[in-house]
Amino acid sequence: MSRGGRSDAPPGGRGGERRAAATRVAAVVVGRAGEAALVVLALATLVFLALRLLPGDPAALVLGDQSSEEERALLRGKLHLDEPMWLQYARFVRGLATLDLGESVRRPGSPALDRVLDAVGPTASLASLAVLLGAAIGISAAVLGAGPWLGRRRGWVDRAATALAATPLLAFAPVLTFALAARLRVVPLPGDPEAGAGGLLFASGLLALPLAAHVARVSRAALDDVARAQFLGVARAKGGSNARVLWIHALPASIGPIVTVVGTQLGALLGGAVVLERLFERRGLGTLILEAYASRDLPVLEAAVVFSGALFVGAQQLAAAIHAAVDPRVRR
Amino acid sequence: MTSRALSQGRVGGGPRPELRALPLAIVLAAAALVVSSARSPSRLEPELSWAPPSWAHPLGCGEGGVDLLALVAHASLRAVLLAACVALVGFVVGCPLGAGAAVRRGRFERGVARACDLVQAFPTFLLALVVLSAVRSPSRVHLGLVFVLTAWAPFARLALAQTRVLRDQAFVEAARAIGVTPARVVLRHLVPNLLGVVAVQLGAAAAAVVVSEAALSFVGFGARDGVSLGVVLDQGVSAMLRAPHVLLVGAAAVFVTSVSLMAAGRAFDPTFARRPRRK
Repeated sequence: MSRGGRSDAPPGGRGGERRAAATRVAAVVVGRAGEAALVVLALATLVFLALRLLPGDPAALVLGDQSSEEERALLRGKLHLDEPMWLQYARFVRGLATLDLGESVRRPGSPALDRVLDAVGPTASLASLAVLLGAAIGISAAVLGAGPWLGRRRGWVDRAATALAATPLLAFAPVLTFALAARLRVVPLPGDPEAGAGGLLFASGLLALPLAAHVARVSRAALDDVARAQFLGVARAKGGSNARVLWIHALPASIGPIVTVVGTQLGALLGGAVVLERLFERRGLGTLILEAYASRDLPVLEAAVVFSGALFVGAQQLAAAIHAAVDPRVRR
Repeated sequence: MTSRALSQGRVGGGPRPELRALPLAIVLAAAALVVSSARSPSRLEPELSWAPPSWAHPLGCGEGGVDLLALVAHASLRAVLLAACVALVGFVVGCPLGAGAAVRRGRFERGVARACDLVQAFPTFLLALVVLSAVRSPSRVHLGLVFVLTAWAPFARLALAQTRVLRDQAFVEAARAIGVTPARVVLRHLVPNLLGVVAVQLGAAAAAVVVSEAALSFVGFGARDGVSLGVVLDQGVSAMLRAPHVLLVGAAAVFVTSVSLMAAGRAFDPTFARRPRRK
């Protein structure tokens, strides 16, 4: 990767250099963690305020219109809604810090966080498999489009990626499911409890397609950017094959934009995961949020939303960190 | 980087002229159907439940015998109206903000750029869940408010990037030299020059709103009136084996509505880009 960057290390002792590098890394890590924590806190505050400042009594929302005033007062006491706002907020922030977000209203005795942690596994495996598949498919498509193998048909790759990027997941996922599950019977039907690995693979494949289209377009543009770079000419002069030049030399130099686009697509990925969990009736964070919304289980809803926000911000910071690690030009 | 990737990804130049009329034709057809009120999405004919397409019901019937043509026409017209409002508000807020930030430079510019990054990458879906969960019965106004919360960011970012190129050009300097106030420079001299680039974003933003609205009502967060493209899809998924036409109609409606909004945005682009406005 040092090909792309400059190697003007300041003169000095080896040990001092290493220590300076360590402090720099530590500063970056602390900075990123602080930023992530701030974003999560902002989201959590928004959740907090939305439930308390918008018109309507949360207790009435939870218990329904027929509930008696005593029942509502009891619930308000339980959720601490009868305290002054600043005290509620302090309690909420302390709960965030100690990971104690209250109990489920609907299932007394089960902490909200436990239910969220139960649901994280399936969603995390769905999303991470989708990111892997999307990156693999997208990068392969971009290399195929940049290389000479397809001849005049190279334009097809671009056109397919553009068309796919413009097609909403909501439109093609049900149709593909209908065609492959209901007609051809090659993948399990939605709601099949024995779907297992096949169901997971199909769902994450669907989720990966829009991501793959974006990755393909951005990495194609990045590959075109470095296409005239001297180090590629050197690699070719040394007798490297087209595949070697593209995969080993050009791709690492253009990995930055690819990681960035994956990072910016994470939010869409999360929304897509909720839609797909609903479509396939899979267990996960999305279904938990929908369930908590339908039954007005406010503590679980708060916990699930804050937790998915934290996951999202963490993944995004990870993408930024990977970008900085592989590309010396971004490091400051 | 992303905007350049987008412009490079556009293969084959702008859309053909006859394609530009297509989005308008679709919206007009839907509006005509809604205004003529020959079909209503609220009239149910239980004996026609899940009936396949026929002459009386060209797109077939859905759950409880609702006429799918009526439902799709009403739903896509409402979605397009909502999307147009959200995109316009995003444009009116975002464009001057981005252009102003680039003109002011310094800390303000960095702050706006950072805010755009944060808001743009933020999952709108979570935000919508937060706001909608606190409302007793969500309506389209609530949905619109939620979308506006994040819709300004891409406009501001585009305007910021474009103004960075424009701000050192002679006509801006000349305007400043004759004593035009910064606000007037932004509104009168910079924003008009951004319109071509931003028109594409208008279409993309509107398309995104249509899809998000359908997705939210597909998972059960939609407006309470139940007239949404997501509801058609929801019915289609639950009756996938019995009545596949419902699913196909819903998916096609989402696709056509969002793609034609995108095409509408692009249709404006080349005309503005080719003949730069002089002021």
